[in-house]
Amino acid sequence: MTARGPKANYKLGRQIAPYLYLSPSLIVVGLLMLLPMAMVIAYSFQESAVLRPDTSFAGFRHYRAIFGDEVFWASLWHTLYFTVASVVMHMAIGLAFALMLNSDRISPMLRSVLRVLYILPWLFTQVIIAVIWRLMLDPNGVVNSILVDLGIIGSKVAWFSSVETALHAVTFANIWAGYPLFMVSLLAGLQGIPKDLYEAADIDGATGPQKLVFITIPQLMPIIVSISLLDFIWTMQVFPLIWLTTGGGPIYATEVLSTYTYKLAFSQYNLAQAAASAVTILLISIGLTLFYIRHQKAR
Amino acid sequence: MAEVVLENICKTYGNSFRAIRDLNLEIADGEFLILVGPSGCGKSTALRMIAGLEDITSGHLSIGGRDVVDMAPKDRDIAMVFQSYALYPHMTVFENIGFSMRLAGKKKAERKKRVDEIARTLQLTELLDSKPANLSGGQRQRVAMGRAMVREPAAFLMDEPLSNLDAKLRVQMRAEIASLQRQLGVTTIYVTHDQVEAMTMGDRVAVMKGGILQQVDTPKRLYDAPVNAFVAGFIGSPSMNLFEADLSRGTLQTPGFSLQLPETVLAERPALRKYDGGKIVFGARPEDLYDSTLASGRSHQTVPAEVVSVEELGSEHVVHLRLDATPVDSGDPDAVEELGGLSNAVARFEPASAVSADSRIDLAVDCAKLHFFDPGTHLAIR
Ligand SMILES: Nc1ncnc2c1ncn2[C@@H]1O[C@H](COP(=O)(O)OP(=O)(O)O)[C@@H](O)[C@H]1O
Ligand SMILES: [Mg+2]
Repeated sequence: MTARGPKANYKLGRQIAPYLYLSPSLIVVGLLMLLPMAMVIAYSFQESAVLRPDTSFAGFRHYRAIFGDEVFWASLWHTLYFTVASVVMHMAIGLAFALMLNSDRISPMLRSVLRVLYILPWLFTQVIIAVIWRLMLDPNGVVNSILVDLGIIGSKVAWFSSVETALHAVTFANIWAGYPLFMVSLLAGLQGIPKDLYEAADIDGATGPQKLVFITIPQLMPIIVSISLLDFIWTMQVFPLIWLTTGGGPIYATEVLSTYTYKLAFSQYNLAQAAASAVTILLISIGLTLFYIRHQKAR
Repeated sequence: MAEVVLENICKTYGNSFRAIRDLNLEIADGEFLILVGPSGCGKSTALRMIAGLEDITSGHLSIGGRDVVDMAPKDRDIAMVFQSYALYPHMTVFENIGFSMRLAGKKKAERKKRVDEIARTLQLTELLDSKPANLSGGQRQRVAMGRAMVREPAAFLMDEPLSNLDAKLRVQMRAEIASLQRQLGVTTIYVTHDQVEAMTMGDRVAVMKGGILQQVDTPKRLYDAPVNAFVAGFIGSPSMNLFEADLSRGTLQTPGFSLQLPETVLAERPALRKYDGGKIVFGARPEDLYDSTLASGRSHQTVPAEVVSVEELGSEHVVHLRLDATPVDSGDPDAVEELGGLSNAVARFEPASAVSADSRIDLAVDCAKLHFFDPGTHLAIR
């Protein structure tokens, strides 16, 4: 070996080491995520994908079919409504509860009880949440009997199975299921805001609401933006909650992109079109994710 | 036009800890009052009660003749500069300074005019669009000052505003704040634990210890005539040397030496006579101790001392000494460390002095400048 040998080996070793460490996770991600993704993308451009061995190139035919389908556009619209309403309400409720839990006007005892109560929805999986709300919102369920007793509604409403209310009902269940993430993140954020900022604002003449607008919310903004983006990405893809409450019905009233795709694949066995629909969801998710990453980098 | 008057103010935290006891202070209109004391003595608590950030447990407080005890901070017509500056991180310098005007519903044009004016006074004009995170410590400090000035308050309250700056900047800002205050003529209460700030900045200094006001006076009076051993030890750097002695027929007697008090000293302090034949505490400032081999020291009585170490500062030598006498703790937590060491006295010698560590010298004491305190109460004997 030349005198340069050990040095060069050392350098090479240092350059390779990080990739060696990363390789197990890269292999797992490649096999379980990238490969299926590539296959789905490939299916979306094939005729009779999966179902028959002899497939041929279909071009954008499946995409045209989907974009020409009214139900796809209805699903897209429902997804948007479901997601935006969920994220906005998650944030509003999360912030309100976090403020309450952070307030020193409430006794510490009550605060710790509330903290446990408010975080409860987080303990349940989507399946259990679906079951809970199906029972609660059943025509003969608790919610109806309370609302009727209070005189708010005249007669019992089939929340999940009437076209007018179903989408609102699943959105409501999802809002209930998802606010704790915001609450916990914002509470941590609130506790990190220096007290003297509020004292300075007191002296500058700020009222309670003004302190919220000029100090608290701007201080929480980085958390609000990143959690909102994450929540948006996740909520867009929610499947079990909707599948187990309404199944996308009645008559497509709660059809969202995930249930639409599922039905294409496993009710109609149109796997190629399902793949095209899935790729559409993927593109939207990638767009949002890039936006999220850019936002994280900018911080 | 606003004087600030505190009458019998008390503060009890969590219904047991008494942070402030019976505080009485009258700060005249336009006066610069320094509130000084070791950390934890209740300075911030006192200031925050004046600001309205802390409830007053009992007592009266008026600002500009109005009783403000039950008023919110914003209605008290005061402005505060925080130790941490408490600048709004998400706002620019302009927005920080103009925030109170914005809350008061002032028009943008009016705000701009006023903020620009203040920025010019504080040399912040170039920085108006920056966020606090991009400013240096000194610049942040000036923004905090600007935010206080913009409101033209009846009184400024400042809580250790310079403690986060490095030593050099602190000296510079000390002078800037003092001259700004004179220029504006606004009543100012300035809290610090730094006795140099206390001595150089204010018209009067209020010394606190353990929630109790010790003495309020001009810096000179505080230095020359401290009311008790604590004030004597706290004001002045290095601290006054305090020792126990027996007094008999005008002579201070310690285990290792005796000093004959001049007639004038006894005549000026008639109360000293009562201590004759008993114990007494006497104090000597470091600059009243001399090197007996130099001209300045020749006329004074001497006592034997052991030199522990010498710090040559150029303009003077700070000499740490060991005397054969029992030192007395003034109660200033910062001074305790010196007592724990090998030395029990500090002197400031002229740079011409040739004393070196580990030598024995004759220390000249200017007995006319000695201070005397009661050994029990530590009150000054006059
Ligand atoms: N909110 C509080 N609750 C209980 N004790 C406090 C509180 N704030 C300060 N103290 C106590 O009151 C004393 C005086 O505090 P402070 O006024 O901050 O002192 P300083 O400003 O002179 O250092 C300290 O012993 C401190 O521990
Ligand atoms: Mg303090």
